[in-house]
Amino acid sequence: MKQVVLIIACVVAFIGMLVLGGISPIEAAQTLFTGSLGSPRAISGSLKETTPLLLAGLGVFFALRAGLFNIGIEGQFLLGGFASALVALAVPGPAGLLLAMIAGIAAGALWALPAGWIRAYRNGHEVITTIMLNSVAVALTDFLVAGPARAANQTGATTATIPTSGRLPALLNSPPWNVSSGLLLGLILCGVMAWWMKRRVAGYELQAVGANPSAAEFAGINVRKVRLNAMLISGAIGGLGGAIQTLAFEGRFYQGFSPGYGFDSLGVALLAGSNALLVVPMSLLFGVLSKGGTSLLILGVPKGLTNLVAGLVILISATIRYRRQAQDA
Amino acid sequence: MLNTVLLTLSMATPLVLAAMAGYCSERSGVINIGLEGKMLIAACVSALVSISHGPVLGVLAAILAAIIMSLVHWLATQRFGIDHVISGMSLNAISAGATNFMFTRFSDPDRSGRIGTLPPLFYQVCAIAAPLALLAYVAKTRGGLWLVAAGSDPEKARLAGLQPDRIRLFALIATGLFSGLAGAYLVADTGVFTDNMTAGRGYIALAALILGGWRVGQTALACLAFGFLSSLNLLFQGTDLVGVALPSEFWTSLPYLATVIALAGFLGKQRTPAGLGKT
Repeated sequence: MKQVVLIIACVVAFIGMLVLGGISPIEAAQTLFTGSLGSPRAISGSLKETTPLLLAGLGVFFALRAGLFNIGIEGQFLLGGFASALVALAVPGPAGLLLAMIAGIAAGALWALPAGWIRAYRNGHEVITTIMLNSVAVALTDFLVAGPARAANQTGATTATIPTSGRLPALLNSPPWNVSSGLLLGLILCGVMAWWMKRRVAGYELQAVGANPSAAEFAGINVRKVRLNAMLISGAIGGLGGAIQTLAFEGRFYQGFSPGYGFDSLGVALLAGSNALLVVPMSLLFGVLSKGGTSLLILGVPKGLTNLVAGLVILISATIRYRRQAQDA
Repeated sequence: MLNTVLLTLSMATPLVLAAMAGYCSERSGVINIGLEGKMLIAACVSALVSISHGPVLGVLAAILAAIIMSLVHWLATQRFGIDHVISGMSLNAISAGATNFMFTRFSDPDRSGRIGTLPPLFYQVCAIAAPLALLAYVAKTRGGLWLVAAGSDPEKARLAGLQPDRIRLFALIATGLFSGLAGAYLVADTGVFTDNMTAGRGYIALAALILGGWRVGQTALACLAFGFLSSLNLLFQGTDLVGVALPSEFWTSLPYLATVIALAGFLGKQRTPAGLGKT
């Protein structure tokens, strides 16, 4: 009952904000729909937005199952995107593509290492460390891409553009349809993760640590090691997300590379709850919202509204999940 | 030299106020990741109301807005049983979105010049008074003892006839008061509201609280240290200390890096209140 009231309150607040801002809610809903799902072009755009959210969402989800809240996915995503751009520019061709993905994965894991280690062995909360590391990642990549890594002939803060031979190929490219193979990689990873969590001992141990660390410790699981590894793998997936963003879509790294994918992916992972396969529809939901939100900008709806809705969605889903747990107990 | 001291004090003011906000909340047992969001909402509301209704109402509205956010956090954690960190994070997101929305929709784009606010000195006096008042309150009054009891062991506090929920309600109102002041100071200091102007200060204040071992005096000192690190950014930007000019990004990152190192426990052992996050 309480939860129903909360959901209604959130919807009313959202519509209230639109009305207060002088925007018709019906018009807003229409624009959101046509901008995200109204045409093949719009759907392709939504799928493009879905890809980084799916990968970053899987990263957050993985840590979340171990009881860790990896808010640092944004920083890991940025570092992964940057490292892969550097490697892809240095090594041409398909070999460079592979090396670039590996570099992205390594950079993401490396950026998650301090947070994971501090959580596992020094008991410092991962939420604060990862938020701090996000700010440092933004500063670091901003500096590198404006200075040492900037393309020689560019005035803006960006790397050079990776040639087509060094990029991820399109899965389907017959305009207006355009779907990248990056999405397929994300889907495969999602399937593997779901299988691993359900069928492998290590997957079980990871979730045991997340559910009840002291019981897991008692059962002989090395909780610290699991936590550190969970954070590293989560960061690696975030880094892979950044690499795919570079290699499949952007073709370069620049200041403002991520318009908040890391944050939206927290919503994706929280909504997915305990089922890895649910990360797919949830990232699709946020991808559609993100694409549609861009069309809303034309109506004069500020970008912040998408953030606002994401926050409300997280709060609501957390409330509902709690209710489910209370019923189980 | 004097310049450094003044800059440090002005940088430390919002940190001290925010850290005291965090102190009230976390001592009562409520984890408060959401200081950042409360400050941001307060800054936005104080800017908007100061423009339309004058500086005094501006501050009061900022405090009220931060208290409302605080009460939502209380409701979420104490009534709905949501994880404290998740509630705080989503409130931060809501604040970031709402302030962007409110300020772009409700402010006059043609307006220019500083927003008329109370003088920064007012907030600096508050930042000195707040730790002293809290120190006296916790050490000398029954209410202070209840606060610490609710945060140290809510179960035993309940057995002793206290109501941790209710103590936390009042603690979170105090959190709203202090974080409201912290947010309003940012506008008073700069004279403008900008998107995401808190720039992680809420988290740095939390780190100061952790570094200070959840004790008032030490926390305030940690805030001064962080304030000093932030002032270095303005003092040394562009000057070459080690042969080459260190990039401004390095100086901006310094407080964040210090926070990570502080959390790694290299700067003293951690003394978390035992009942933090428990019901």
